[in-house]
Amino acid sequence: MKLALDKYCNINSPIHNWEQTSKLVALLSLIFAFAFVTKLTLLPVMILVTVTIFILSKLPLSFLISRLRYPGFFILAVIIFLPFVAGKTVILDWGIFTIKQEGCLAVIRIVTRFICILTVSLVLFGTAPFLKTIKSMKLLGLSAIIVDMMLLSYRYLEELGEMLTRMQRAIKLRGFQSHNLSKRNLEVIADLTGTLFVRSYEQSQRVYQAMILRGYGSNNNGHLLTTKNVKIDKISWLFSGITVIISVFLLLAEIYL
Amino acid sequence: MKELIRENKAIKKVELRAIKIDNLSFSYPQNSPILANLNLEIFTGEKVGIIGPNGAGKTTLFLSICGLLSPLGHISVFEKPIIPGAFCPEIGFVFQNPDDQLFSPTVWDDVSFGPENMGLSPQEVAQRVEEALGLTGVSRLKDRIPHQLSGGEKCMVAIASVLSMQPKLVLYDEPSANLDLKARRRLINFLQHSQETILLSSHDLELVLEVCDRVILINQSKIITDGNPQEIMSNQELMENNNLEVPYSLKEN
Amino acid sequence: MHIPDGILPPYLSIVGYGITGGMTWYSLRQINREKNPQEKIPKASLLTAAFFVSSLIHIPIPPTSIHLILNGLMGIVLGYYAFPAILIGLFFQAVMFQHGGLSTLGINAVIMGIPAIFAYYIFRLKYLLGNKPFFTQVFSFLAGASALGISAAIFIMITITNIPAEIDANTEKNAILASLIGYSIQMLIEGIFTVMLISFLEKVKPEILNL
Repeated sequence: MKLALDKYCNINSPIHNWEQTSKLVALLSLIFAFAFVTKLTLLPVMILVTVTIFILSKLPLSFLISRLRYPGFFILAVIIFLPFVAGKTVILDWGIFTIKQEGCLAVIRIVTRFICILTVSLVLFGTAPFLKTIKSMKLLGLSAIIVDMMLLSYRYLEELGEMLTRMQRAIKLRGFQSHNLSKRNLEVIADLTGTLFVRSYEQSQRVYQAMILRGYGSNNNGHLLTTKNVKIDKISWLFSGITVIISVFLLLAEIYL
Repeated sequence: MKELIRENKAIKKVELRAIKIDNLSFSYPQNSPILANLNLEIFTGEKVGIIGPNGAGKTTLFLSICGLLSPLGHISVFEKPIIPGAFCPEIGFVFQNPDDQLFSPTVWDDVSFGPENMGLSPQEVAQRVEEALGLTGVSRLKDRIPHQLSGGEKCMVAIASVLSMQPKLVLYDEPSANLDLKARRRLINFLQHSQETILLSSHDLELVLEVCDRVILINQSKIITDGNPQEIMSNQELMENNNLEVPYSLKEN
Repeated sequence: MHIPDGILPPYLSIVGYGITGGMTWYSLRQINREKNPQEKIPKASLLTAAFFVSSLIHIPIPPTSIHLILNGLMGIVLGYYAFPAILIGLFFQAVMFQHGGLSTLGINAVIMGIPAIFAYYIFRLKYLLGNKPFFTQVFSFLAGASALGISAAIFIMITITNIPAEIDANTEKNAILASLIGYSIQMLIEGIFTVMLISFLEKVKPEILNL
């Protein structure tokens, strides 16, 4: 399991230098504005904004493409499915298959929105260390319990992923082949999953003991993250301002245009 | 006496080859190679210790031999080529951490897992489980929950869960890690008397010295030297050049 | 069963976030009522990570395979921590694997999380009936199967009524029918799997179930 979400977080670019708390607010507002866009005339604006942000971030294109691979199946399904079944206005007729205008327009809308939102969120989470993003969320008022849970589970994700890989290797070497569904196969997988839970649980007890020994939970401030008030520089304010204005513009245009 | 043993081995070598590796190379994309053009022959009945610093490629070598990786080059075990991904009960692999290996609700279930996958009849499975538990000296634990055993017990149960497949070649990855002195001594006695061909990677050089009749030193993806354990491990210069230490029992006063 | 970005009408994203906000608030309030709410955080977090990882395990159903959802099991094991745990898991899936989405995080948490809490209550019914092993099995099955069933029902309802507004009625009927068959098989598997897993945990580490 390779997470490597923040593997390009040390590049020097205007987006990387944008302070993460204000970036989080601004880009999230943009993501929601994108989600609201349905008018075809606004799609080019959306694409332009997304491309600009992506270029400014200096993230490699291959990174974006590798991230699109998994949801690519979904896009493909939409493209293949919708033009044939949705709508009444036929624009192409091949006997049983007819391509319909409404379906095509729906495809354009959905795919554009999808790719734009995905790109912006990749820039948002790919241009700062993930820990910093979690800190920003705490500064913005996310509950301490959720922040602590996020930190700890993030910390152990890869470790547990490797644990699972090793256990799967071990049962494979002893001849386990799960090519068909049988009671025994399901039971083996259940035991394997159960073992993963038991091991995680036992590790969590050790983690907790190590944490209380260092003061966790002893008072109300005993949480995992210390956050100081951040200073937001002028350029970050500027970027955030522009982004929020674009978001508001998109919303207003969607409603009143 | 030593000469005699060597001669004996030379005769054996002609007949029974356990592992033959030609030009084995492995690397992860965009990384320097972990193994580069490795050639190796191991003969039936040998107990071979693989030593070398962390990251030398020991584990990768093991994973390649049991077909978990698809490296470049050729590996055959008992004259049959290794097909990555295929089940080969002739080769047993004991994981460094027994917790990675033991997953069943009882010791018995875990030890019977391999034989069941081999498609044996329930009687044969039961017989093999008893045998493996007996060999490793943990018959009394058969109804216990593996998770609740001590480190030493887990280690022996993990070995039993591999031996129940009756492999002819067993790979041990750091078998003495995390064992107390008594459990370690038990493991050494067990390994000294076991009948299979053994390939054993360890940082516990005293254990290698006691168990193995041949040592291979790997470093920086290559075999540095291959030969008699005492000769290799008492060579201070060689050992230190490869980030190892001469074991205490071989140090000159 | 995750809804990706860009596909839903915007009001649903907002409604989803609204409900998720409410559910999170309610769960956190229940958690904070405990004597030492921080005590269980490491357990809940590591199990969250374990659930996340175990969703990578595939169950073969020739010619294909499915991955487990296990939201019912999450409810049983984590109780009120299940909702924030699912929210966090979905967030990680969205930002790391681009599975699901940020604008649809709220609605996806509703789809997965509310049935988990439901499963928690179902499982606890066994205590009313005297906590016998037989009832543990019955209610594990019901909890596992019904959580997946409810998730699937909400998911189908949302997708069918919202995506392509002009979809043909016949196609729609067939799509619903096909997905119902698929999900009932999955319900059965999740139910049986939950029974097996609960019985494993009861044998090996019963205290996990009393979190």
